[in-house]
Amino acid sequence: MLNTNTTLPRALTYQGIPIWRHAQVIQWTAQIASGFLVVFLVAWFFFNIANAIEDREIPYGFSFLERAYQTPIGQHFLPYETSDTFLYAFGVAAVNTIVVSIVGVILATALGIFVGVARLSGNWLVAKLALGYIEFFRNVPLLIQLYFWFYIVLALPPVREGYVIADLVYVNNAGISIPFPFSDGLAAALVWLAAALAGVVGGKALHQRLTEREIDTGQASYPLVWGVTVAVVVGALAWLLISFVGGGAPLVVSEPAPQGTFGRISGGFTMSGGLLALLIGLVMYTSSFIAEIVRAGIQSVNRGQIEAARALGLSPMGTLRQVTFPQALRVIIPPLISQFLNLTKNSSLAGAIGFADLTNVAKTMTQTAPAISIFILIMAAYLAMSLTYSLIGNLYNRRLRIASR
Amino acid sequence: MSVVREPDTTTTALPPPRSETGAVGWMRANLFSSWYNTALTVVVGAVAALVAWYGLSWLLIDADFSVIATLGGLLLIGQYNTEVGCPGQNCFWRPQFILLMVSTLLGMAWVVAGGGLTKRIAITVPVVVALFAFLPYGLDRMGWDVRLLLLANLPALLLGWALGRYTLLGTWRTVAILSVGGFLLALVLLRGIPGVPGLQPVSVLHWGGLMLNLLLAVAGIVVSFPIGIALALGRRSNLPVVKLLCVVFIEVFRGVPLITLLFMSQVLVPLAFPENFPLNSLLRAAIIITLFSAAYMAENIRGGLQALHPGQAEAARALGLPGWQTTMLISLPQAIRNVIPAIVGQFIALFKDTSLVYIIGMLDIVELSRKFATTYVENGMLPYLDNVRELFIFLALVFWIFTYGMSYISGRIERHMGVGER
Repeated sequence: MLNTNTTLPRALTYQGIPIWRHAQVIQWTAQIASGFLVVFLVAWFFFNIANAIEDREIPYGFSFLERAYQTPIGQHFLPYETSDTFLYAFGVAAVNTIVVSIVGVILATALGIFVGVARLSGNWLVAKLALGYIEFFRNVPLLIQLYFWFYIVLALPPVREGYVIADLVYVNNAGISIPFPFSDGLAAALVWLAAALAGVVGGKALHQRLTEREIDTGQASYPLVWGVTVAVVVGALAWLLISFVGGGAPLVVSEPAPQGTFGRISGGFTMSGGLLALLIGLVMYTSSFIAEIVRAGIQSVNRGQIEAARALGLSPMGTLRQVTFPQALRVIIPPLISQFLNLTKNSSLAGAIGFADLTNVAKTMTQTAPAISIFILIMAAYLAMSLTYSLIGNLYNRRLRIASR
Repeated sequence: MSVVREPDTTTTALPPPRSETGAVGWMRANLFSSWYNTALTVVVGAVAALVAWYGLSWLLIDADFSVIATLGGLLLIGQYNTEVGCPGQNCFWRPQFILLMVSTLLGMAWVVAGGGLTKRIAITVPVVVALFAFLPYGLDRMGWDVRLLLLANLPALLLGWALGRYTLLGTWRTVAILSVGGFLLALVLLRGIPGVPGLQPVSVLHWGGLMLNLLLAVAGIVVSFPIGIALALGRRSNLPVVKLLCVVFIEVFRGVPLITLLFMSQVLVPLAFPENFPLNSLLRAAIIITLFSAAYMAENIRGGLQALHPGQAEAARALGLPGWQTTMLISLPQAIRNVIPAIVGQFIALFKDTSLVYIIGMLDIVELSRKFATTYVENGMLPYLDNVRELFIFLALVFWIFTYGMSYISGRIERHMGVGER
C-alpha cells in the first residue's frame, strides 16, 4: 500500500487507493454518469419535441378536454352523447375498460380455479382434458383468439332470424341480448343498493358474532339462519320503503324484445359482438394462465397436510376447501394479481374487434386532439389501474402473512 | 379338472389379481376408482366425445381450408414478393437464402452439441422446410426455382454439419458469432442495397407475414435478454440513482399495455427525434417490443436472484472473487437457471406479442390474414366469412407449433440442468 502511495501522485488516490480501483469512487462515478446520460437523453427528447411543436405547429396542452368529442363510441356503460366533452368521453372509455376488466377477472378466476383443480384430478380423463385446454389457450396469441370468436359471432344469423331462448335471450350477429335490471331513478337504485349492502355486511357481522358465541359457550346460536335473515329483511324493508316513498320499485328487470319492422332488439342489455368476443377471449386466455398458477399453488402445499386432513376424516372436497386451498392461496395470490393486471392490459386489444376501450378511444382521439396530451392521460390511467392492483395485492398479502405462523 | 400345482407360498408372493394390473387395472385406478369418479368419467367422456365428433366432422368434412392456399406465400412473407414490395423482380430467393443460412447454422450446432435435442431440432427444421417444396399448389409466384431453393435446405444442413465436423468452425463461439453475423446479413439482404442488381431495396413497410413475426421475435429475444439482466442487476444494486432509474423504467413499461406503447411509438417517438432521423416504423416497433419484454425479463431474473441463498454470494466473496465476478460467475448463472421456465414464458409471450404490430399498420401473419380475408370477402372471392374461421384455426395452429416447441425445449433444458434437483 505504501508502494502505491509513493509511485502515484496524491491527487490520483483516495484513502490511499488509486481512484480507478476504489469501489466507492467507481460507484459514484457510474451513478453520476448514468444519471447525466438519462437527464441528457430526456432533455434532448424534450428539446426535439419542443422544436417540433414550434416548427411544425403541432398542437399541445389540455384545453381540448373541454371541447365536444363529436365522435360516436360503440358500446358504452355510461350514458354518452356525441356532444359530450373529450374529458367525459375519456371517462366513458375508461369505465368500459374497467367494467370489462372486473367482469373478466371474476370469470377468469372462477374458470381458472376450476381448470387448475381439474388438472390435478385423480381422474385421468379430466386431468388430460384440463391439460389440453391449458396448453392450447395459453400458447395461441390472444389476438387470434379474439378474431376467432368475433367472426363466430359475426357469422351468426341476422337479427330477424336469430336464435331466441325462452323469449328472454336473443342471440344473433348483433350480439346477445339478456334481461337486465334497470332503474328509472338512479338515486333510488343507489340508495337501495347501499341499504342492501349494509344489510349483507350487518348479516355477515352477526354471523361471525354468533359463531364466536357458539364456539365460546357451546349454546346453539344458529349463526347462518340469523345472518341470512337480517340481510334479507333489511333488503326487503328498504325495497318496500323506497317503493312507497319514491312511488316505484328501485330496480325493474327490463326484458329484451324485438321492435319495429327490422326486428331490432330493444330493452334488456345487449352485449355487442365485440364485447362478447373480447370477454370470451380474455376469460379463456387468462384462465389458462390462472389454472397453471392454481395448480402450482396446490402442489406447493405439503403432502403431510393433506394426509393429516384425510386422516382426520375430511372428505376430498373438504380437504381441498378447508386445508389445501387456504394454504395454497399464499403462493397463488401474487402471480394471480399480476394475471389480473395482464387481463386489464390485454383488454386494450379490444380495438381490433371494434370495442371502444381506453386505448381504442385514445387512438381515435389523436386524430382531433394533441397526441402528446393523450399519451400523458392514457399513461396516467393505466398506471393508476396497475397501482390499484398492486395495492390490493399487497394488502391481501399482508393479511395472509399475519394469519400465517 | 386338472390338478392345480400349489404355488410355493413360503418363498414367492402371489401375483396381483388380474383386475389390478394391465389396462383394466389402470382404468380402475384412473377412471373408475369411486362412484363419484365413475360418474365424472362417464359425463365428461360423453361431452368430450360429442365435442370431438362434431369438431372432427366439421374439420374433416365441412371445413374448407382452400383460403390458406389462396393466400399462399402471402402468409409466409407478406407483400415482400408482390408487385408492390418488389416490383419487376423475384425477391423470394432472399428470405429463402436466409432459411439456407439457418439450416447451415443448425448443422453446425448439431456437431457442436453432439446429438440429443439439438440434433433432432437440426434435422426436423430443414426437413420440414424442404417438404414445402412438394406442396401441390404454388406459393406466391412459386416456380421451380423456389422449390429447388426449398430443397436446398437439406444439402445446406449437410454442409453445416461438414463445416462443423471437418473444419475449425465447430465450436460454440463460432456458431454464436456466425449466428449474430448471419442475422445482420439477413437484415441487409432483406432490406436490399440500392444500385446492386438483384438486391433492389424493399421498404420495411412491405416486410410481413410469418417472416415479420419471426424477425421481431428473434431480435427481441436476443436483445431483451441482456437488457433485462442489466435492469435486474440495476434494480438490486445499492446505488440509489441507478436503482431509481431501473425501477422507473421497469414499472412504466410494465404498467402500460404494449399496444398503447406501440401506437404511441408511431405518433410520439418521431417527434422526440430530429426530423429525418433514420428510424423507420419497423425499427421503432422492434425497439418498443424489446424494451417492453426487457422490463418483464428484468422482473423474472430479479425473482431468481432474490430466491438465491445469500450464502452463495458470501462464499464467493469469501473466496476473494471481486463483486462483478461474484455476480457474473456465481449469482447470475444460478438465478437464471432457476427461472428458466419464467424466461422462456417471457420469450413465448414476446413471440405472441409480435402479432400486435397490426396497430402500426404492419402486415404480420395475423393482420395480413384478417385484412386479406375481409378484402377477398368484399371482392366476392370468398363466400362471406365462411372461410375466416378456418384461416384463424390455421393461424392458431402455426403459433401453437412454435410456442409449444419453445416450452418443450425449455422443459428439456430444465431437466438437463437439473432444476429443482441440485
